[in-house]
Amino acid sequence: MTVDSSTQDTPKTGLSTKLLAGSILGLGGGLVGLFQGLQSGDKAPFLGWLWGCSFWLSVAIGMLMLIMIFRVFNSKWSPVVRRQQEHALSAFPWLALCLLPLLLVAWFGKDQAGILWSWINPSSPTIEVSSVISVEEDVLHQKKAGYLNLNFFTLRLIAYFGIFCGISHWLRKASFSQDKDGDPSWTHLGTKVSAIGIPAAALALTFGAFDMFMSLEYQWFSTMYGVWFFASGMRAALAVTILICLYLVSNGKLKGLFKQAHQYDLACLSLTFTIFWAYVSFSQYFLIYSANIPEETFWFTIREIDPNTGVRSGWFWVSMGLIFGHFFFPFLYLLFYRNKVDVPKLVFIVCWILAFHLLDLYWNIIPGREIVPGAFVGYEARPVIGSHLLWGLFSLVGVGCLCAWAVIRSFQSGVAEIIPIRDPRIRESINHHE
Amino acid sequence: MSDTMDIKYAAAATFSSAKELYDAAGKVKDEGYSNWECFSPIPVHGLDAQMGYARSKVPRFTLAGGVTGFFTGMLIVWFMNEFDYPLIVGGKPYFSPIYPFPVFYELTILFAAFGTLFGMFFLNRLPQHNHPVFEHPEFGRTGDDKFMIVIEVEDPKFDDEQTVNFLKEVGGQAVQIIREPID
Repeated sequence: MTVDSSTQDTPKTGLSTKLLAGSILGLGGGLVGLFQGLQSGDKAPFLGWLWGCSFWLSVAIGMLMLIMIFRVFNSKWSPVVRRQQEHALSAFPWLALCLLPLLLVAWFGKDQAGILWSWINPSSPTIEVSSVISVEEDVLHQKKAGYLNLNFFTLRLIAYFGIFCGISHWLRKASFSQDKDGDPSWTHLGTKVSAIGIPAAALALTFGAFDMFMSLEYQWFSTMYGVWFFASGMRAALAVTILICLYLVSNGKLKGLFKQAHQYDLACLSLTFTIFWAYVSFSQYFLIYSANIPEETFWFTIREIDPNTGVRSGWFWVSMGLIFGHFFFPFLYLLFYRNKVDVPKLVFIVCWILAFHLLDLYWNIIPGREIVPGAFVGYEARPVIGSHLLWGLFSLVGVGCLCAWAVIRSFQSGVAEIIPIRDPRIRESINHHE
Repeated sequence: MSDTMDIKYAAAATFSSAKELYDAAGKVKDEGYSNWECFSPIPVHGLDAQMGYARSKVPRFTLAGGVTGFFTGMLIVWFMNEFDYPLIVGGKPYFSPIYPFPVFYELTILFAAFGTLFGMFFLNRLPQHNHPVFEHPEFGRTGDDKFMIVIEVEDPKFDDEQTVNFLKEVGGQAVQIIREPID
């Protein structure tokens, strides 16, 4: 059970360099996009950047929530898995850094300050019914200005990442310190941090989703949105956790420690959150569909049809893809026991879920109303394929490589054993049985 | 036992620890018995694999129940709103998979639960008011501190003498033939 640090370090140093190079290339490309966007007033690179960040942010938030849930339930099977997730938490400060350019543009972008979040600039044009007005003339903004203003927005973002990084720090400290001295009070500390951390992180992720993603179309509102982001993040985090653990089994580090029972339970949780995601996403649609209020329905309309012609747009097929590819297929697939315990079958479906999670975020972040003066309704819906996708891929790769680098560095730093060897629950976790 | 009629039910042996039961169960399986059962006061992890049991078939009943429920919900809504008494409510279509989805969903859950419960009853042949194994004088202690293996007469490999001897060989105590009295 001891970790041989000499064999752990050598082969992966090359990987770290490659990841760092990948992140510099990806983020560099994305930054070039942001500069171009600022010059030409093009929103696409900003949307792409946000999309790329959102994917990794959702994974990290899901990891954080899972660890805290394991902690408060004092679950006996989880410690072997939890340690891998604790390493993943080291990505949070870097995620904050990746979002910083968007905030800097909001502060120092002058007349382009509202390029991503139009409400930041009071003179940005916006749509009311089908006429173009400025944000400050829009009654829907006036009523929300107490919340949606740059100072408060900045404060909130700092608070969210303060919460994420702070909880991560304490959870990692509680777990890693126990490896050294075996003091059970570290377990109590972890439980206490989690008990306070769950509501704090839940609020941070909910309002974070409101601020960063929902406010892209600030007229629209949905109380389900935060829950949707939570459910998505849990699905993504479970998928990444399964991949990390199975990788560590395949290279021998967790062989015999991460058992079929752990894999089965993580897969069951994946099934649970597949259903939960569908429940939340459907409820959001269902309530807006039933109420049928234009302030709310336009958000779904631009994801289904071309608002000027009423013809189905590319987003319709993305929406259908989400219903069948992100819910029905994984749901039916994960119902079967064999698909949860056979390693290749499970790897297939978690990769599938991650791909569709990426599409889900794309569907939530990218579509929007582009003001076009001659158009019948005064605007056109942003298309599925566009430069936002290209810029998005840059930031997706860049942020991903940066996070992977941070996480691998945490794995290699030797701050912790491969499993929490002195956790009071570790024996039960190793002997976990279906 | 002389003046009441009885039916020979099984050979039974008791064990004093979970480990003895676990080891003996492996031997019974390897000997090729198929119609036999273990009794234990505590859950013994891995015993089903040791006994050569496949996974339960209850989930099939659950799935069948769920699918039935989903389409029953659809049928109800379609029959009432589209076929038998079309009525416009809130500008919604007569039939659509969206607005009545909660109905499909609830019936899926309900019928899946029925499938699970009644599937379990069916597979376990419940309800069953009495069981011949209760005739064994030590059986009550399998709820306390004893473990038991019972090999039924129905098993094709069963043989009065050989099976009793075999149970003794694998470490069974209080080995005896269980007879179910009938009158």
